[in-house]
Amino acid sequence: MLPGSDLTMKGRFGGNERRARFQALCQTLRPDLLRFAFWLSRDRALAEDVVQETMLRAWKAQDSLLDEKAAKPWFLTIVRREFARTFERKRFPTVDIDELIRSEQPSLAATEDDELAELRTAIFKLTDEYREPLVLQVLMGYTTAEIAREMNLSEPAVLTRLFRARNQLRTLCGEDTRGDPPE
Amino acid sequence: MMDHEAYRRALLADPHSKDAEMLRHREACGQCSAFSDQLLKFESRLERAMRLEMRPPAAEFRPGRDRQGRSRPGRSRPARFALAASVLLALLVAGAVWLAVPRTSLAAAVVAHMAGEPDAWNTRAPIPGPALESVLESADMQLTAGAGVVSYASSCEFRGHVVPHLVVQSAHGPVTVMVLVHESVGKQVQFDEHGYRGIIVPVAGHGSIALLMHGPDAHIEDVEGIAARVRNATVWLR
Repeated sequence: MLPGSDLTMKGRFGGNERRARFQALCQTLRPDLLRFAFWLSRDRALAEDVVQETMLRAWKAQDSLLDEKAAKPWFLTIVRREFARTFERKRFPTVDIDELIRSEQPSLAATEDDELAELRTAIFKLTDEYREPLVLQVLMGYTTAEIAREMNLSEPAVLTRLFRARNQLRTLCGEDTRGDPPE
Repeated sequence: MMDHEAYRRALLADPHSKDAEMLRHREACGQCSAFSDQLLKFESRLERAMRLEMRPPAAEFRPGRDRQGRSRPGRSRPARFALAASVLLALLVAGAVWLAVPRTSLAAAVVAHMAGEPDAWNTRAPIPGPALESVLESADMQLTAGAGVVSYASSCEFRGHVVPHLVVQSAHGPVTVMVLVHESVGKQVQFDEHGYRGIIVPVAGHGSIALLMHGPDAHIEDVEGIAARVRNATVWLR
């Protein structure tokens, strides 16, 4: 984390310093925000747009960030809202998963490990309701309670979605699922 | 007592759960213990799959400045075309510069990677053995207990390869260790960038290992001590 912990300091720091701190924070968090936005949207270009817009909104709303240690979830919440806004604005046509996979092949296959590429493709095939909590848990380290709060769900509902997400992924990847409990 | 189905259902929902009842069941049931190990390996792959390499943006975000400070809905159509043209031009220039200059140094790439995983130093508890083994698989290596407490292990994409990214606890604070079997250096490289101090040491036949600490109390001598400890504790499997 950056030295100090408070970004709500218009009175304490000059504009330039505040701007520099915020810029450093964005630079630190950007890779994770971009990963999250990418898995959310399954579209690299859209993810870039969403993250850029997120940073603009965050800059304007920085007074609502009370603790810099909470910056990451704060930014992730903005990413979610911004993605939802973009989605509403653009009114995307029905998603063609095969087309999405084809168009994002450079990102999905950017590894020498075939299993990883296969797993990334399988993640793409999960529906939003299963993919999003899984990404929040696995990539962002959210607890069940935090996912429930973020997605406005009950904890049992989150656990069910996470169970189904892994269950489907393991099946899609040809894992031995004979020991898995039934859905 | 939790039954097998309930245990596996809960485990598939949260493979790293520390729930006491689940831990008791796992200790008491060999089959479910084996199931857990298998799932943790899958989980490690899942995390690696999600952790895509993200290249830095063509231009840094500059709050409150230039066109980025204006809200998008108010932008006119010609302005959008102009914006698109300027972005395209910037990308072309950036591409030309990228082609013209040498690739980022290994040390700078290690430091940049650290910035992308700021949470790695936030935990101190040892990670489970199977999770560590799974991460080390990509480098065909194992670590003996002599390495000390490993509090973080992740398989990360780094310059086109999946590499183990570990955090080892030391008396002087957490030390990041990246096993770079695909990156060779002729001799030990020392670096001090953006508050990160570290070294990259050559490992004969196995590329190199990068180690770094952060903050004003980070000393190269301490990093070198940990490097020696990790190397002594490393068992190469090929």
